[in-house]
Amino acid sequence: MDFDVVFPSLVAGRLLLAYTNLPGALRHDHQLSTPLTSYPRLQEGLYLFHNGVDPYSGGLFRHSPLLLSLFSTVLPLNRYTSPLLWTISDAVAAWALVQIWRARQQLKSKSSRDSLIAAVYLLNPYVLLSSLALSTASFENALLLLSVMFACRGQASPTLLTLAVTTHLSLTSALYLPPLMLLLFTSPVSFLASPRPYPFALQDILKKIAPFVAEYAVYMAVLTGAATLVSGGWGWMGKTWGAVMTLPDLTPNVGLWWYFFTEMFDHFRPFFLMVFSIHLAIYPLPLSIKFQHDLLYAAYVLTGLLATFKPYPSLADAGLFVSMTALFPETYAHMRTPFPALLVHLHCSLLLPLFHHLWLGSGTGNANFFYASTLVWGVGMGLGVADAVWSGLVAGVKGGAKKGGGDLAWEEWEITQE
Amino acid sequence: MILTLLFLFAVCSICSAEETFSERLILSPNRDGTVTSSFAFTTLLRDAQPRDPAKLAEEDESQHYTLFPLALGQILRDNAITELHLTLNAGKWDYQNWGYPEEEGVGTGAELWAWMGEGAMQTADERWKNLRNALAGLFCASLGSLDEQRTTSPVLTFQPEGDLPQASTSHELRHGTLPSENVCTENLTPFLKLLPCKARSGIATLLNPHRLFDADWHGMGVHVRYLEGAGIEVRLAFQAVLNPVRYSGDKKRDWSLSSLFDRSIERSCPVAGSSDIVVQVPPFGAIITEPAPSANNAGSIAYDVRRVDKPLDVGMRWPDEAWFEYPLDAPPSALMIRRTLKGSDQYKGRLSVVLTNSAMAEVKTSYLETMPWLLQFYLHSLRVICDGIPRDDLVSIISYTPPVPHARPSLLQALLTLPANSTVELTMDVVKPFLRYTEHPPDAHRGWDLPPAVFVPLDANATGGRLRLRRVYTSVLLVDLAVPDFSMPYNVIIMSCTLIALIFGSVFNLLTRKFVVVSLAKAKRAAVDNNNHVRRD
Repeated sequence: MDFDVVFPSLVAGRLLLAYTNLPGALRHDHQLSTPLTSYPRLQEGLYLFHNGVDPYSGGLFRHSPLLLSLFSTVLPLNRYTSPLLWTISDAVAAWALVQIWRARQQLKSKSSRDSLIAAVYLLNPYVLLSSLALSTASFENALLLLSVMFACRGQASPTLLTLAVTTHLSLTSALYLPPLMLLLFTSPVSFLASPRPYPFALQDILKKIAPFVAEYAVYMAVLTGAATLVSGGWGWMGKTWGAVMTLPDLTPNVGLWWYFFTEMFDHFRPFFLMVFSIHLAIYPLPLSIKFQHDLLYAAYVLTGLLATFKPYPSLADAGLFVSMTALFPETYAHMRTPFPALLVHLHCSLLLPLFHHLWLGSGTGNANFFYASTLVWGVGMGLGVADAVWSGLVAGVKGGAKKGGGDLAWEEWEITQE
Repeated sequence: MILTLLFLFAVCSICSAEETFSERLILSPNRDGTVTSSFAFTTLLRDAQPRDPAKLAEEDESQHYTLFPLALGQILRDNAITELHLTLNAGKWDYQNWGYPEEEGVGTGAELWAWMGEGAMQTADERWKNLRNALAGLFCASLGSLDEQRTTSPVLTFQPEGDLPQASTSHELRHGTLPSENVCTENLTPFLKLLPCKARSGIATLLNPHRLFDADWHGMGVHVRYLEGAGIEVRLAFQAVLNPVRYSGDKKRDWSLSSLFDRSIERSCPVAGSSDIVVQVPPFGAIITEPAPSANNAGSIAYDVRRVDKPLDVGMRWPDEAWFEYPLDAPPSALMIRRTLKGSDQYKGRLSVVLTNSAMAEVKTSYLETMPWLLQFYLHSLRVICDGIPRDDLVSIISYTPPVPHARPSLLQALLTLPANSTVELTMDVVKPFLRYTEHPPDAHRGWDLPPAVFVPLDANATGGRLRLRRVYTSVLLVDLAVPDFSMPYNVIIMSCTLIALIFGSVFNLLTRKFVVVSLAKAKRAAVDNNNHVRRD
């Protein structure tokens, strides 16, 4: 099907859906939006800001001051503009995903898979429902995909600027900096089947990276300064970025942090907060080194890991990971557990809302019900991520074997690890 | 005997110069058959000044009191408190049937508020902490729990009842409520100890805990205020709504002091400057059974306990009534307020306040919410509906302090306009937060009591002068917060960590270990060889 037809019709369909009465019920849903991305909290912050109360003096509003200034001046949020804004954001994200695909395939024009990729993003239930719930995670996803798109095109400044904005909105996105910076030097074209080292001398890496890091730091500083000016103080920092570090709001979500820190002994809380935060920072470098031949793939694996381990993850983060899978059809053949992972996801999509309702709605279940389903969800995400790493690496092994010793009959050979 | 009397007179002549004590009991029968009894024991320390906070670091002047309660005086001076109000109440005051109370602080549970001067080495918050801990010790109440998570400064509603000394530049208000606090004998005993005659003589004889704590509503209060030109006044108050219909076997509402309190007054308190019992007489049907009153005003009669014959047992009878019939038609009071928390979800809800103004004139009222962070408002969702028509203009928010989780309550001060003869409903979405497991009380599933809202109807006719505005308390709310499983900490730590280790392990296993290609045929052969080798051994 023609992309020019499919894409507008998908966006139009999304827009119609956004204007129905359905979204109202979703806005308070804990799986679709977290305290950091929830729409009612954004509205509350805007209301307080309008009425001269510092929204960061309380604990309900944890969005960036830039969103506050944007929505209180240029783009006022109401029931007519909000669905439109969120749909546009998703359309931009889907478009960026298609552009990434084209850059990876080195296509200058349309391809037959464009429509499929756009549909995989726009019709992904995780993305769709989060966007209907008006979670600001949709903006974060769109900005991150834009950043990746710019990186694929080798445009350094736009990449770093969009990544800085993403980081400003959600601090954990800073972890995308290593793979995206390295992606700027390398090519987005798939080298999964033929691994190669970095196409530059390792001694030069610091020299090459330093200006990028500096530029990123300048963007971050400017955004921080702007945010401080807008909110009239430094109070926003503790409430937005600080929340990622200290987890003051224990509202349930699909992640692993909230119940862990609900049940944590008070004297161990700082220690485990540190461990959980540092655990997140472990992944970017090893992934960037192991997948030095294909840094887009490293970024993709990282989306999956962050969607699992972020302090305040929502289904939108998982949706980004699932949708990005469409970019790497060359790995499908090597996946070990695609079907179990799919089943676990299906299982969770029933289990999560059901147990959430049993615990908090009807009061017939207890907290362990929902906690157990987030564990299952974590297993599902873990299966997906581990399978992504496996298939990405195995593609290289098989590709290497093919290059070295002709075609192997794979029924007689097995790939294992030493 | 004569010597003792002489001594007593001498003491009284000394003390009356500086300290005066007066006691008063107001008994008013209500339309629902109950009797409201309001005790007030007032001690005035003449020409005394509240301690200057700037001199807190210096040695304090020595304190010699004869009638003024020393234990309380020490607390006041140690923390340089200008004005103090502590109330401990149980039950919900029924404004409709019982009318407006003599002592206006009738919010359920404990309420403590104090005005104190600035300029001390210690901040107002430190002194507030000392004050509530000292009062907690003095009155055996859990006032220590009135910490930062419950302390606000609602200056519009809690204006000083006395005067603030001019010497000190500015004054600070601290206010806290603890709706779950219970009042019982252990609070009354220290209360009685503060009285000059304890419960041995005078009106205080009637404070019989067996009856008071069996009342439909009961509450005690300690009020300290500074009056310019007069001195420092301490008023110890006790209010109880007793139900004679419940006590009597024949369903009659006849009452006497002995039937209400199981005691009568045997002797008067010798140091009391005045000792009055005032009985409000209902318009018709009732007759006073007991001795001739000392004074007879319109609608009320008074007894001077020091002069009338003892034992004194005032009573009231309704001779024409065979039995008491409970009035089913509630008379509309001028302002009726009903506050409820709606919604069954444990993470969100809706607060609804319905105000009915049955007067034929517009009423303006201030509205105060001092809500712990256990319930957080979505102020943007505040809507006002007046008789079915949206009227958001009827509410204007004067100040709002948003809550901080685990730290600070929210404070909402607003002004409402109630059109004549109308019903106004305020609704607001609320968020119920999730607590750490250590923050839950032992009976977590019971829910949390939330403090009452306070309304102060503003009199439209008031012009200048010191107008005493009267506070109206709503009932308290109970919020049902989601609870974690309290037996799970270790399990959660183990299971979450296992999952993280599992994913971390499998990812890093793949990333770090080398991949090799193994021939299945060769492996099979090796396995067979190995097997044979084992068999040969």
